[in-house]
Amino acid sequence: MLNQKRHVDLLTAFPILKRLLRSRSFQPGMMLLTLFVFTLVILTGLFGTPAGSRNFGIIFVWIVWWGLLIIMLVPFMGRFWCSICPIPAPGEWLQRRNIITKRLPKLRTLNKRWPRRFKNMWLQNFGFLAVALFSVIILTRPQVSAWLLLSFIMLGVVLSVFYKNRVFCRYVCPVGGFIGLYSMTSPLEVRVNDPSVCLTHTSKDCVTGNEYGYGCPWMVYPGRLDRNIDCGMCMECLKTCPKNNIALNLRPFGTDLTVQKAHKLDEAYKAFIMLACAMVYSIVLLGPWGELKNAANMQSLPHWLAYATGFLTFVLVLVPGIFGVFSSASWLLMKRSLPLRKVFIDFAYTLVPMGLAAWVAFSLGFVLINGSYALSVLSDPFGWGWNLFGTAEAPWVPAAPQLIAFLQTGVLVAGLLFSVQTGYKIAREQVGRHRKAFTVMLPNSFFLTLVTVVFMWLYLG
Amino acid sequence: MTFREAAARTILVVILLGLPIGILGYRYVLQPFLSPETTFEVQAYAPESGGFSPAVIQVEAGKEVTLRFTSMDVTHGVAIGPGLDAAIDHIDPGEQGEITLTFDKPGTYTYYCTTWCSADHWRMRGIIEVRDPVNPDLLPQVQSDPVIEGLLEEGIDIDADHEGEALAIAPSAARGGDLIESVIVPDEVRQVDWQRTHSPAEALTILQTQNASYSDAELRDVIAYLWMLNTTSTVDTIQTYNQNCAACHGESGNGAGPAAYLTADVPAVFDDPGYMFSMRADVLYAKIRRGGMGTDMPNFGTLFTREETWALVDYLWLLAFEPTLNE
Ligand code: SF4
Ligand code: SF4
Repeated sequence: MLNQKRHVDLLTAFPILKRLLRSRSFQPGMMLLTLFVFTLVILTGLFGTPAGSRNFGIIFVWIVWWGLLIIMLVPFMGRFWCSICPIPAPGEWLQRRNIITKRLPKLRTLNKRWPRRFKNMWLQNFGFLAVALFSVIILTRPQVSAWLLLSFIMLGVVLSVFYKNRVFCRYVCPVGGFIGLYSMTSPLEVRVNDPSVCLTHTSKDCVTGNEYGYGCPWMVYPGRLDRNIDCGMCMECLKTCPKNNIALNLRPFGTDLTVQKAHKLDEAYKAFIMLACAMVYSIVLLGPWGELKNAANMQSLPHWLAYATGFLTFVLVLVPGIFGVFSSASWLLMKRSLPLRKVFIDFAYTLVPMGLAAWVAFSLGFVLINGSYALSVLSDPFGWGWNLFGTAEAPWVPAAPQLIAFLQTGVLVAGLLFSVQTGYKIAREQVGRHRKAFTVMLPNSFFLTLVTVVFMWLYLG
Repeated sequence: MTFREAAARTILVVILLGLPIGILGYRYVLQPFLSPETTFEVQAYAPESGGFSPAVIQVEAGKEVTLRFTSMDVTHGVAIGPGLDAAIDHIDPGEQGEITLTFDKPGTYTYYCTTWCSADHWRMRGIIEVRDPVNPDLLPQVQSDPVIEGLLEEGIDIDADHEGEALAIAPSAARGGDLIESVIVPDEVRQVDWQRTHSPAEALTILQTQNASYSDAELRDVIAYLWMLNTTSTVDTIQTYNQNCAACHGESGNGAGPAAYLTADVPAVFDDPGYMFSMRADVLYAKIRRGGMGTDMPNFGTLFTREETWALVDYLWLLAFEPTLNE
């Protein structure tokens, strides 16, 4: 089992944090705040200037929020964003018919059953790909961004009418998918202190809910929680658990990745999609091929179709295919002692730290370069010539441009080491002995190194 | 309902309804009502992506307006003409620039790009219709140009091919200045109006009859000098030329600007004195204002005043007869 000694429960260490997170006002309060920003994003997107760099919506979503999410929140706090995200908020409040206090014993929905075949990440995988295909358009056109976000929030509300709980977040939201995947690396986790207490606790308030809170909105049973991927860190269980058994642990990075029994193909594909997308974006946006950028920008329909075909082939076939060759090598090296499919899926989890590192490195580039736009759009969110805080004329100053390459290299190398270590742990669980594990993981490590080299080449030119 | 719940609901209503209504109401109802200044947002795209959007703006004469230009793709420059002296030198992609001005007289004005932004750069224009608030249906039309009318009456084809003759020695206004005291020049030839309706070659024929002791080359120097006498060019003219003409005709007038290879017809070479010597100023004027048929020479009549156009023509003589003055 996990090495419990290396975990520190922050709630015990900081009672004030526990009080805050137990309070029914904290989460909705944060959501109201993000909802305020979200509304402003929609308004500026729809009514503000079409010049992206002058539009609050574009800058705050694709630079400020994205940077915060991928560089800070996901790597260090896992799914914390999901607990303050404004998108599911209206739907959730509608189900609860209240914002803060718990009023109704049951959620108000039509109580439909979410289809079994969608109880996985595939919808999120394809949703992400769909958004990714249009990303160059979405990232630069405030109106398109606004409509996209509006459609998310609408979908959230509609789903909450039919289905209980955060079905949108868990099975549909294209962002939720990769946050979940990458949250497994984060050093923060919600877990129970003592699983045996849960075993004997028959009423399971964390699942059913009680007067202090709702049953887990993410449809998770905290008593058996062993990965961050499905826990939205909403802290309802902290409020409901009468046994004081919920902990918010600080733990080593990447602990969840080696929980092999949970490994699944949909998640493995999420890992491929994310890694491959990071690569495509780096190539399209940073690479020297202007033609490619034009094609991605929908210069013409045939151009874009060619780009889309290439993109999907690369992401869904080429990258998993090449990876498959390497995992087949591992499989042969272990003398086929496990099914190939299992080896393939297990090793795909080594791409999680690597993929996250690639995204962090990629994002560092444009976030540091363009972050200063945030100042001017804060004062003139619509590009209407306002100057609310006197910063409308703030110049565009790239932050630490000389440092970026170093930071990117550091992040990528850390990602590589982390991935190789994960690979070793996975191999160890697969074949047991150190020496054998070492041999089995070699092809995988080679693949990871190859990927790192490609990224380095893209970032460092 | 607890106090917290009530507060949260109030905040929710403020966010979802108050914020949109407040901002949009202020922007589209209150602000236009309160302040007389009207702001027009204009997005500047390269011509093949649509040019200026909007491309037509209607304003009232006598009212202060602001035009805020946002560069959407590449660097653009903006000027409004004719005769307004309103310009933004360059607006980088994603940046904005404003021009605030009051149109005193009703009529049609043009905003145009002043930076070589694409092969179709010169197509990048927008129109400002300035209407008289008392009589908004009447938009004064551009009056016909007496100079162009005059050429037509005279039966001169503005678009006719113009061949110069090769000159062994390039005329020099500087040398002509040394001779001017001793050469007999009829008064008429010194007059602006005469010079604008005759070519230097015609002036040469007249001077030859009265100055037999001088060589043709010397007389050409004198004529070059005479053609400089009445110049109306200023430093602004150089900028106008460089912004609007140099892309094709070259900054030195050598006909080899960066976009010269794109035009349907070879751009005229102004620093070729042979070509210019048999050219008439009013024909140059007409070409600038009306454009050249089938040559890709755009019309600038909607951008420049007549005076500005003459100053440009005068600058071309400068390029022809005293290229060193250009510096
Ligand atoms: S309510 Fe607490 S003790 Fe009971 S099952 Fe849930 S987490 Fe365990
Ligand atoms: S396990 Fe607890 S914190 Fe995680 S989603 Fe469920 S209720 Fe929220």
